[in-house]
Amino acid sequence: MKLVIDESRCKGCNLCVLVCPYGIFQEGTELNARGIVVPVLDRPERCTNCRLQHLYGRVLCGLCHMICPDQAITWVEEKPFEPHRVEVEF
Amino acid sequence: MIAPDWLREDRLPHIYCTGCGNGSVINCTLAAVEEMGWKRDETAFISGIGCSSRAPGYILTDSLHTTHGRALAFATGVKMARPDFNVVVFTGDGDLAAIGGNHFIHACRRNVDMTVICMNNQIYGMTGGQGSPTTPTGAFSTTTPYGASEPAFDLAELAVAAGANYVARWTSYHVKELTKAITTGMQTPGLAFIEVRTQCPTNFGRHNKLRSIPDMIEYLRGNAMLRVKYDRLVEEGADIPEGTFTIGELVRRRRPAMGVKQ
Repeated sequence: MKLVIDESRCKGCNLCVLVCPYGIFQEGTELNARGIVVPVLDRPERCTNCRLQHLYGRVLCGLCHMICPDQAITWVEEKPFEPHRVEVEF
Repeated sequence: MIAPDWLREDRLPHIYCTGCGNGSVINCTLAAVEEMGWKRDETAFISGIGCSSRAPGYILTDSLHTTHGRALAFATGVKMARPDFNVVVFTGDGDLAAIGGNHFIHACRRNVDMTVICMNNQIYGMTGGQGSPTTPTGAFSTTTPYGASEPAFDLAELAVAAGANYVARWTSYHVKELTKAITTGMQTPGLAFIEVRTQCPTNFGRHNKLRSIPDMIEYLRGNAMLRVKYDRLVEEGADIPEGTFTIGELVRRRRPAMGVKQ
C-alpha cells in the first residue's frame, strides 16, 4: 500500500498537515498545473496504514483520508517490484 | 474508510471552498453508511438549500434537493411513503434553524425515523456571509458589522427539548467520533440529530480574524468541551469560558418513533 494525493482534486487546504500524527504531509512550495500548492509527502513509508493495513485487515489510522474535504487522499496497491527509497541509518 | 463507489467521481472536485468542513462531513457520513451496509437502492439523501445541501449531489444514490428549509418536510414524506427506505437529511444552520425551524421541531416531536446531519458553520456561507440564528454573540458578519447582539440558537439542545431520540454534537475536526456518532444515529430508531460545527474560513473566518484554516480549526477545537467535563464544571461552580459549546452525545432514549422499518 502507498499513500497518494490526487492532484486533480486537492485544493491545498493543508488539513492533512494539521492532523497527521507522523508529520508525513508537509506544506508544499510549488504551484501545480491548476495553480494549487499541494502538500508534499515526507517519507510516506512511515504511514502505519500503508505498512499494516493488510496484516490487520482494516484501516488503522486513516485520519488524513477522513478529514480530507476533497476526497483526495487514498491508498493504492503498489505495482510489483516498484522501486523503494531505502534509508540506512548508521 | 469511505467507499469510493458511493461518490459521484465525475462531479469531483466539488464546489466547496478551500478548507471547508463540509467535505469531511460527507466522508464521515459515507463511512457510516459503509459500516451500516445500506444498499444503494434503499437509501435516500435529502437536502435543502445552502452550501451543506450541495452534499447529496456528490453521493451516488437517490437524492432530493428541495426548497429552502423544507428538507425535513420532504424527508417525512419520503419516509411515510416508503418506510423501508433509509433517509438521511443534510441541512445547514440557515436551512434548519432559520427558515425551517418549525419543520425541525415538529419532525423531532413526531420522531420520524431518519438521520438529520446539520452542518453548522454559524453563518450563511453561500450568499456571502450574512448572520444566521447560530452566529455567536459578538461575532462579525456582513449583516452584523458591529458584532452580533443576539444570543445564538443551540440546535442540539433544541432537538433534545423537542424530543429527538438521539442527539449528538461534534465538530468537523473530530472525524472518528463523528463517524461513530452518525453510525449510532443511523442505528437508533426515531429521529437522530447530529449537529456538526464546521469551519468556514471564507466567510466566517474572514470577518472574525480566523482567516487561515489552522486558526479556524483551533477556534473549533479550543471552544469545544466534552459534555461530561462541562457538567462537572457546572457542578463545581467553576467558571466556563465565554463561547464554549459542549460536544459529545447529548441524549439517547427510546421514545415511540414514527415510520420505523418493520
